[in-house]
Amino acid sequence: MEQINSNLESFHNIGTTTDWVVMVAYFIAVMLFGSYFGRYNRSTKDFFFGGRRFAWWLIAFSIVATGVGSHSFVKYSAMGFKNGFSSTMTYINDWFFVPFFLFGWLPIIVYTKIRSIPEYFERRFSPSARFLATILLLFYMIGYISIGFLTLGKAALPLLPESFSLFGMEFQVTLMGVIIFIAVITGIYITFGGQTAVIFTDLLQGAILLFAGFLLFFLGVAHLGGFDIFWDILPTEWKLPLANFNEPSSFNFVGIFWQDGVAGSVGFLFMNMGLIMRFMATKSVDEGRKAATFNILFMLPLSAIVVGNAGWIGKALSISNPAEVPPNTVPDEIFVVVANIVSSPGVFGFIMAALTAALMSTVDTLINATAAVYINDVHRPIEAFLKVDQSDLKKTDRSELVAARYSSIVITTLGVLGVLIFRDFPTVYEAHGYFHSTLTPPLVVAIFLGLFWKKFTPAAVITTFVGGVALMIAALHYPNLISPFDHGIEMNPERPYSYIRALYNLFVCVAVGVTVALSSRYLKDAAGRIRNSEYSRIIIYSIVSLSVLLFTLILFNLGNEPLLLFQALLLIVTVAVSSEYLVKYDEIAQTEGLTVWSVKKAKEFFKGGKINDREGEVIHVHWKLKEFDEDVLYFSKNDMAKMQAEVGDLVYICDKRKYLGGLKSVHSVFGEPHEEDGIVYMNEENRLNGQFIPGRVLTAEKEM
Amino acid sequence: MPSFFDSWLPFFYLYGIGGLFFVLGLVIIRRSGAIDMKKRKHRFWFRVLIGGFIYFALIHALGIIAALYW
Repeated sequence: MEQINSNLESFHNIGTTTDWVVMVAYFIAVMLFGSYFGRYNRSTKDFFFGGRRFAWWLIAFSIVATGVGSHSFVKYSAMGFKNGFSSTMTYINDWFFVPFFLFGWLPIIVYTKIRSIPEYFERRFSPSARFLATILLLFYMIGYISIGFLTLGKAALPLLPESFSLFGMEFQVTLMGVIIFIAVITGIYITFGGQTAVIFTDLLQGAILLFAGFLLFFLGVAHLGGFDIFWDILPTEWKLPLANFNEPSSFNFVGIFWQDGVAGSVGFLFMNMGLIMRFMATKSVDEGRKAATFNILFMLPLSAIVVGNAGWIGKALSISNPAEVPPNTVPDEIFVVVANIVSSPGVFGFIMAALTAALMSTVDTLINATAAVYINDVHRPIEAFLKVDQSDLKKTDRSELVAARYSSIVITTLGVLGVLIFRDFPTVYEAHGYFHSTLTPPLVVAIFLGLFWKKFTPAAVITTFVGGVALMIAALHYPNLISPFDHGIEMNPERPYSYIRALYNLFVCVAVGVTVALSSRYLKDAAGRIRNSEYSRIIIYSIVSLSVLLFTLILFNLGNEPLLLFQALLLIVTVAVSSEYLVKYDEIAQTEGLTVWSVKKAKEFFKGGKINDREGEVIHVHWKLKEFDEDVLYFSKNDMAKMQAEVGDLVYICDKRKYLGGLKSVHSVFGEPHEEDGIVYMNEENRLNGQFIPGRVLTAEKEM
Repeated sequence: MPSFFDSWLPFFYLYGIGGLFFVLGLVIIRRSGAIDMKKRKHRFWFRVLIGGFIYFALIHALGIIAALYW
């Protein structure tokens, strides 16, 4: 035990040799399990999206590990130890935005076949909006990876000695050293696994994770002497499910509501490419809805107990037996400390391995998703700009798969470097809260207004990104700007308004976006006047240069508060006018099928024709190979009648074994019918994509 | 006994402001036709959405009551 500062006690060397053997064995087993499913990657589509084939239950369980990992046991146990059951708050406040997600964002991203969020911005607005969205999204996702690495490092550190000797040299075990080691393992795994591997390892880990978390809870309660003793020992304030309204500044309800319940929930559902790619891996939009709903209704509340209970047990132990758990234990270490006390050797290793591996899975998911953003929004646009020959699709796909693997390595490295920004926060929870408050609002607002408001223009979205960020930077320089939104929360000068900052940031981004969108008529007038001027090019270049200058001045705060605000307002005007002038925008074409108001159109675009909504049966068929080039499947007339299908409708066929969760399946199109009932004819490409085994019965259903 | 700021104020704020976002979401998806109440499946989803809101409000309310009086 070590005193890390005047008040807190830190631990090292927790665990036994048996625990280490169990942990290493667990990690090897999980990596082998994941690598087995790596063989299902036949293209970048499979590598990133798993081929849009899985059943809802498989995705719902695979998300457990992602959810638990990202809202990790380290930070929630820490908050449980400091504040009690209110550590569960952030797991049970996601429902408010579910209608927007299930019937707005999810169908749009699936039906428009976009591969990344920035791609949506290009189709809905303009390439420049996509460029800015890519920058913000990469910041967001790499920041998320950094938080994941920081958490992993903090979980592993108490298990390790303070130093070790190798070849006669003494090495200190540091947080950054541990993180770099973990990053190497994570990078290797994700580079060779891909999305299918991540989904399946997460599926396995989701189940083990819930088991390990509840095992810890039962062991802890038993260690205390039973549930009644555990319940009675905790002070009433510790048992309340929501924190105090506005105190203390490091953990209060209203700040966390805006930071996590609003910015975080929307960010997690709408911006977290890792999660979105999971939903896109389901076989249909409806399966995606089921997966999301099941996860939020049942898995998240259970996960809240899994991740927080070590802190609650730790609190109870610190009251009943302070010698066992000192009340001043470092909060981020409480999980490891409690798990070690209440479990026996081997069991402790298993709990640690299960929870750490799940966290690693989350980081894997995010690295995979960030690589998808890189390929789609950086690599491909650059190749297009350089006019690289992309006529050979298979060759292009192979080269992109290689680029995806290399980019995973670079992203992992950037994630490790990002830890330097967050490591000085007192807890991972506060670091994550600050991260969410600061990075999510511009993209959250842009996605929301773009998706639900047809009048939201490219000028408005670009100004939201630039002007909104400028006003957010202003509040970083002058935190007193946030005070009108503080709900009575005291400002901590070291980390001013970690959480409620989200409300200010959301407000300024919405205000900028809505004001610019409502000023479209005036902006068009201004752009028209510039166009009609004989000095139009000089004027517009001057305005763009002024915008760059103003943003630089704001970034480095060269002036005082009133000047900074004036610069920000001027920047909003110059960016809005120049965007209106420079961006070509067709309001009808660029909203059709891209907003919630035209989801039906998006569905028609997806199918490439009129939608057949008649509900048909799911049938069983045997498959036979036939030589043809088209991507179609040939069923009999009677079978098509049972499915209420017509030629040209979309079909989904899948191995009959339900426990495979759609792993062996494929989407295609109904071809002209034949007369052999119970038989489907397919070509070699579809057989390979579906990984169908000779003699196995398939199920077939009309998709739309 | 914990103060109102500890117990019920966060609950009312959560389901008041959160509820506004939720109702806005329901109104938008219905008015836009994204959820089509003529379809059986969509009617089911609409009930799930409302039920989910009540389910979470009940979890929090019962949690507060248990903490205060149990």
